[in-house]
Amino acid sequence: MFELFTNMVKEEWRVHSTMFGSLSFALFPVMIFGIAFMGSFLLPLMRTTLPAGNLTLIVHANYLMLGIMVGGFGLLGNEVMNRRFGQASLLAYSARSLPLSEKFIFSNFVIKDTVYYFFLWVLPFGFGYILASPFTGVPLAGALLLLLTLTFSFLFGLCGVFFLSAVYARSRPVLWLVLLAIGVGVGGFAAITGMNPVLFFPPLLLNSAFTWANFLISCAVLALLFGVAIVLFNPESVGSEKMYKDSFAPLMRRFSSLPNPPLSAKDTLDLYRSGSLVGQTIFSFLLPLVVIWFFLSLLGPFFPPHGLLFIVAVTTGVIASTMYTWVTMFDTFGPYACLPVAVSTLIASKLTTFAVLQTIPTIFIAAVALLSGEAAYLVPAVVLGISVSFYAVSVMAWLCGLSPNVLVYDVKVLFVYLILVGIVLTIFTSVAFANPYFALSAVILAIPTWLLVWKAKVRWDAVDPEGF
Amino acid sequence: MTVVLEAKNLTKKYGDVIAVDNVSLVVERGALFGLLGPNGSGKTTMIKMLTGQTRPTTGSATVLGIDVTKDPVGVRGQVGIIPEQETPPSFLTAMEYLEFVAAVRKIPDIETKADWWFDFLDFADKKNVLCKDLSRGTRQKLMFTQAFIHEPALALIDEPLINFDPIMQDLVKDYLAGYVKTGKTIFISTHILEVAEEICSGFAILHKGILLHTGPVAELSSRNEHLPSFFLSLVRKDRHV
Repeated sequence: MFELFTNMVKEEWRVHSTMFGSLSFALFPVMIFGIAFMGSFLLPLMRTTLPAGNLTLIVHANYLMLGIMVGGFGLLGNEVMNRRFGQASLLAYSARSLPLSEKFIFSNFVIKDTVYYFFLWVLPFGFGYILASPFTGVPLAGALLLLLTLTFSFLFGLCGVFFLSAVYARSRPVLWLVLLAIGVGVGGFAAITGMNPVLFFPPLLLNSAFTWANFLISCAVLALLFGVAIVLFNPESVGSEKMYKDSFAPLMRRFSSLPNPPLSAKDTLDLYRSGSLVGQTIFSFLLPLVVIWFFLSLLGPFFPPHGLLFIVAVTTGVIASTMYTWVTMFDTFGPYACLPVAVSTLIASKLTTFAVLQTIPTIFIAAVALLSGEAAYLVPAVVLGISVSFYAVSVMAWLCGLSPNVLVYDVKVLFVYLILVGIVLTIFTSVAFANPYFALSAVILAIPTWLLVWKAKVRWDAVDPEGF
Repeated sequence: MTVVLEAKNLTKKYGDVIAVDNVSLVVERGALFGLLGPNGSGKTTMIKMLTGQTRPTTGSATVLGIDVTKDPVGVRGQVGIIPEQETPPSFLTAMEYLEFVAAVRKIPDIETKADWWFDFLDFADKKNVLCKDLSRGTRQKLMFTQAFIHEPALALIDEPLINFDPIMQDLVKDYLAGYVKTGKTIFISTHILEVAEEICSGFAILHKGILLHTGPVAELSSRNEHLPSFFLSLVRKDRHV
C-alpha cells in the first residue's frame, strides 16, 4: 500500500506545481536553503547581541509554529477535509472507490503531509546550515543535531494540532477540557517552579544536550499524539444532512452598512458553520501566538524596555494578516462565475470580512499589553499590530488575489512578500523601540495599503478568473 | 429576427493547445440553440467565453448587445448561467443560496419565487439543508433555479440534464421548450444528441475546437435525416481527415 503514499505525494506536488509552474515551485525549497546558508554566515554578528542558545530557541519556535500552522490549516477536522478537497476527486477520497479504509487513507494523508512539508520547509533549512558549517566553524554533529531537533519541533506542532483537531472533530467540550488541562498544567508548573516551561520543550532539551533518553521521550510523545489522533479520527458519515434555519437574510440586513453585504454575510456563515472561526482562531492564531509570546518572553532582556510588547504586536500583525486565507479558502471563483460579480468585488468583500476579523488580534494585543503591565502602551501597540496586519494583507491580496493559500508557495511571490513586509517590519519595529509612542506613526501604512489594494483589484480583474 | 448572441472568430488557446479555433456563431431571439460536440471539443470553453468567465485569445463576442470582453460582469448580470461542474457554496442552505443570488442580482420578492421553484423541481424538503450535503441531482436543481429565477432573456446552460433522473429530465425539457416560446432564448451545450434533436431549434457541431456545422434542426428533418447520425458521420469524417 506504499503506492497510496507515493501517489499522494505526487498529487500534492502536482497540485502545487500546476498552479504556478514546476520551476517556480521547485525553487521554493532552494530559496529556504539559500536563506539558511547565507544566514549562517551572519551568526557571528548575531551572537554579539543574542546568545547562541536564544537563536536556537527562536528557530525552534519558528518551526514549531510552522508545524502548528501547517497542521491547523490542513487538518482541522472533517470540515477542512471537505473544504480542502471540495469536489475535486483526490486520493484522500479514494475510500469511495477503492477497498481502503478511511483511517488508512487519513494516516497516509498525514504521513504524506509530514514528509512533504519536511522536504519543503525543514530539510532545506537544515541542509543550508549543515553545508555552511565548515565555513562558520559550527561542528557538523551540531548542525545535524539542529536538523533533527527542528524536525521534531515541526512534528510537535503538526502532530499536536492534528491531535487537538481530532479531539475537536469528536467533541468540542472535550477539546476545551484538554486545552484547559494543558493551560493549567503549564501555568501551574511555571507558577510553582518559577521557570519558563518552554525550556522543557523536548526538542530544545535534546538540542541543548543530546541523550538517547531525551530522543526517545520526543519520539514517544510524537507517536502518542499521532496514534491517539488516528484512533480518534472520525470520518463524517456519508449522507448526513445539516439543516439550518435561514440566517442569511438577517445577517445581510445587519451588514447593510458594509460594502457588499451579501458577500460578507456569506463569508461570515462560511466561517461560522465550518467551525473555522473557533478552530482557526485557536489553531492558526492564538496557539502560535501564545507559543511565540512564551518564547519571546525568554528574550526580554535583549530587547529595549517595552520592546517585547511591540515585537509581540508586530508578530501578531503578521499572523493576523493570514486571516485573509481563512476567508478565501472556502471557494474558488467558480461558484461566482454564474453571477454578475467581478474578482475585484470579491477581493473587496473578503477584505471587508478580514477587517471585521481584526477585532480578534486587537483584543489579543490589548490583552498582552494589560497582562504584561504595559497598559500605557496599549494604543500604540494595537495601532502598530493592526496597521502591520492591514499592510501585510494588502501585499498578499496584490500578489495572490483570491488564492493566497496556494500562491504563497510560488518562490517569486514569497520573495516579494518577504521583502515588502520585511522592510516595513524592520522600520516600524525600530521606530517603536526608539520610542513606544512613535509606533503610532504606523498609521501611515494606510497609504501603501490603500494603493496595494487598488492595484490588487486592477491586477486580478485583468486575468482570467479561472483556476484555483 | 433579433440576434441575441454573436461570436466572431472566437479562438481560445491554453499554451500550445487550441481549445476553440476561430468559431463564428449567431443565435437569434427565441431559439433553443444546442452546441454539440464530443468530450473535449471546446463546448465548455465556448460557454465560458460567451459569459465572460474566460477571455478569448482572439476574436470577439456580443451577448444581448454587450461585448463580453469589455463588460463580462454586465453580461453575467443579464443572462442566466449553469456552469458544467460548479456547485453552490458549501455552507449556505439551498434557500440562503437563492437569497444570496437574489441579493447579488437584485431580484425582488425572492421568497415567493424560490418557493415556486422548490415546488416545481420538487425539492422543498431540502430548502434548509446545507448545499454541501445535497445530492448531485438536488444541487443541479438549485443551480437550475438560480439560472432562471430572474427570468433572463438568455440562459446559457452547460449539460442541462446531466444529473437529473428521467422524470426531472422530462419536466426540465418541457420547461425549456416553454421558456423559449415566451420569446426568450436558451443556449445549451450537450453531447446527448437525442435530447438536442428533441428540444433544439438550431444547433452547431464543434469538434476539436473547430466548428463543423451550424444550422436549424428542421433542415435535417426536411432531409429525413436524424441529428445523431448526422453528427456521427460529420465527426467521424473529421477524425479521418
